[in-house]
Amino acid sequence: MKHYIESLLHSDDYQFLGLFVSDKTKEQGVFILRYLFYDIKNKKLNAVEIKTEKEFPHINVPALDWYEREAYDMFGLIPTPISKLRPLMLFPENYPKDFHPLRKNANLNINYKGYQEYEYENFEPEGSFKILVGPIHAGIIEPGHFRFTLNGEPILKLEIRHFYKHKGIEKLAEGKPIEFGLRLSERISGDHSIAHSLAFVKAAETIYDIDIPPKAAYIRAILLELERLMCNINDFAFIFQDVGYSFGAEKVFAIKEMLMRLNEALTGNRFNRGIIKVGGISKEIDLNVVKDGIRLLKKEYLKYKKLFLNSSTILERTDTTGKVSYETAKKYAALGYIAKASGLYFDTRKMMENKLYGPLIKEFRLKNGDVTARLKVRFNDIEESFNIIEEFASNTPQGDIYKDYGKKEGYSFGFEEGQRGNITHMLEIENGLISRWKIRDPSFHNWPIIQEAVLGDIIADFPLINKSLNLSYAGNDL
Amino acid sequence: MFNVIKTFLKEGIKTEDISSYNEDNVVVYKKLPKILKCSLNIRHVDCGSCNACEYELTALSNIFYDMERFGIRFVASPKHADALTVTGPITRNMYKPLLDAIENVPNPKVIIAIGDCAMDGGIFKGAYGIVGGLKDINIEPHILIKGCPPPPKDIINGILKGFED
Repeated sequence: MKHYIESLLHSDDYQFLGLFVSDKTKEQGVFILRYLFYDIKNKKLNAVEIKTEKEFPHINVPALDWYEREAYDMFGLIPTPISKLRPLMLFPENYPKDFHPLRKNANLNINYKGYQEYEYENFEPEGSFKILVGPIHAGIIEPGHFRFTLNGEPILKLEIRHFYKHKGIEKLAEGKPIEFGLRLSERISGDHSIAHSLAFVKAAETIYDIDIPPKAAYIRAILLELERLMCNINDFAFIFQDVGYSFGAEKVFAIKEMLMRLNEALTGNRFNRGIIKVGGISKEIDLNVVKDGIRLLKKEYLKYKKLFLNSSTILERTDTTGKVSYETAKKYAALGYIAKASGLYFDTRKMMENKLYGPLIKEFRLKNGDVTARLKVRFNDIEESFNIIEEFASNTPQGDIYKDYGKKEGYSFGFEEGQRGNITHMLEIENGLISRWKIRDPSFHNWPIIQEAVLGDIIADFPLINKSLNLSYAGNDL
Repeated sequence: MFNVIKTFLKEGIKTEDISSYNEDNVVVYKKLPKILKCSLNIRHVDCGSCNACEYELTALSNIFYDMERFGIRFVASPKHADALTVTGPITRNMYKPLLDAIENVPNPKVIIAIGDCAMDGGIFKGAYGIVGGLKDINIEPHILIKGCPPPPKDIINGILKGFED
């Protein structure tokens, strides 16, 4: 089994989507580990199951490193053979060693006190020094800890320590109704409210066996593209800002603000929260407003794209900065624009929902893997989003926006392509309540890549590289 | 570039009058209250929010809201700050860094809670990873801005109004 999983991880025909663990000790006396792959050639899912009481095979692939540490923290499962197992989300400063919250019989009323120190990696070559950044950063961004080892200006090593924002969302949802899970799913990563709630809702709809009405599917797609557009434009503006070109940044931030106002005009919320529900959507949106707004913003956006690509001073900063090679992207099972800029390609909309999107999404990949390449992938995404919204808003079919359903039980996966890449949720429903919910944001795959992307670059380029990867702390830490 | 500047000049100033938003509120806030003399420096700490609040905080400095015209700006160190904004429920892992940041803001300091989570944990109330909101760690925020997340105009209004009171 171990060799089979290893071969799938190395294969170019399979995309690794995550390791999903659930506690079945009550029913079957074991924990079930599901290694989820997507078979790109045959267009189907491949879930490899391992059942265990305590130990499971350790696979020495970077993509699995965080997953195995998570399995130990959350369930107390031990990957074997392994020499050293460092805690991931449960900081030894705050949680005792034998605390495994996602076990069904976990006792959460314990004394949360200082227990041990966290061990950082020991790396001190001669003549090097360290710069420690975080957890609270200088700007308005989320908390995380970065340790740079430098020799002069070039970065020799970067070690990241995340999960400062670990709240325990997955445990909180256990034993709660679906409606609560839906509300919570909009607050996993705020800028991805629609994408995360769609992944959750799709998992629930597969369990309940619902086919949503075509009109609802179209409107969901429009909302998803509006969100993708908002995030991509925001990233574009931040890259302008981080290369020190505030004129461009302010103008592109204005486009983002206009998009958020368009959201507010459509649904009453700047993040489109509260419109998705199981079985469809909760209210109609005015499609003419979308069409008019998008036409205006597209014209505006194209001006600044041209400005960016024609400026040699900006490209000087972004070219060859923050390189992620194909091999690095593959070994960490990268998702989203990071993968697309480094020669890999996986897009949930293209692979799993080709019926809806069809030729509107083209396979676009670049090989350079630097900041410019990632921005060009975003440009392509932005233009695709404009096209999809225009197309769908003019051709929305008539009919219902909601379909009633009967309750069922079982487990299922739900997938959605967020702006940062594939989002996967695993949902188990028992007696009408959530019994296990695993959330996997693309940031969980992509964060470790930053440790390799910055190597050899100077420290002053770090903010630029960080923004070009632009990963979510909230979706990663849960 | 020339064309861009030309349209820029044609469009004019985009910055909006914040007071125009106050439909039911008669009081018009156009500048910082006198008690602050002329400026307010804010240090922001995210204690575990879903990052929607951060999205709205960054929007404060865009050309529509332009918070700096009131003299309000975000600074990089708590030692330079007069006020501290807190978003999100306070996670166990962020509890100590938050206390450190609060301690480093010179007195008299003002604590501003932004969003529902910061007050009492909001939707995340009851999760094992959080200690709760500011209430639960015995810190009474001086200004509370409600919303999930509060829109930028509410944040500016909340800060200006809070100091007026």
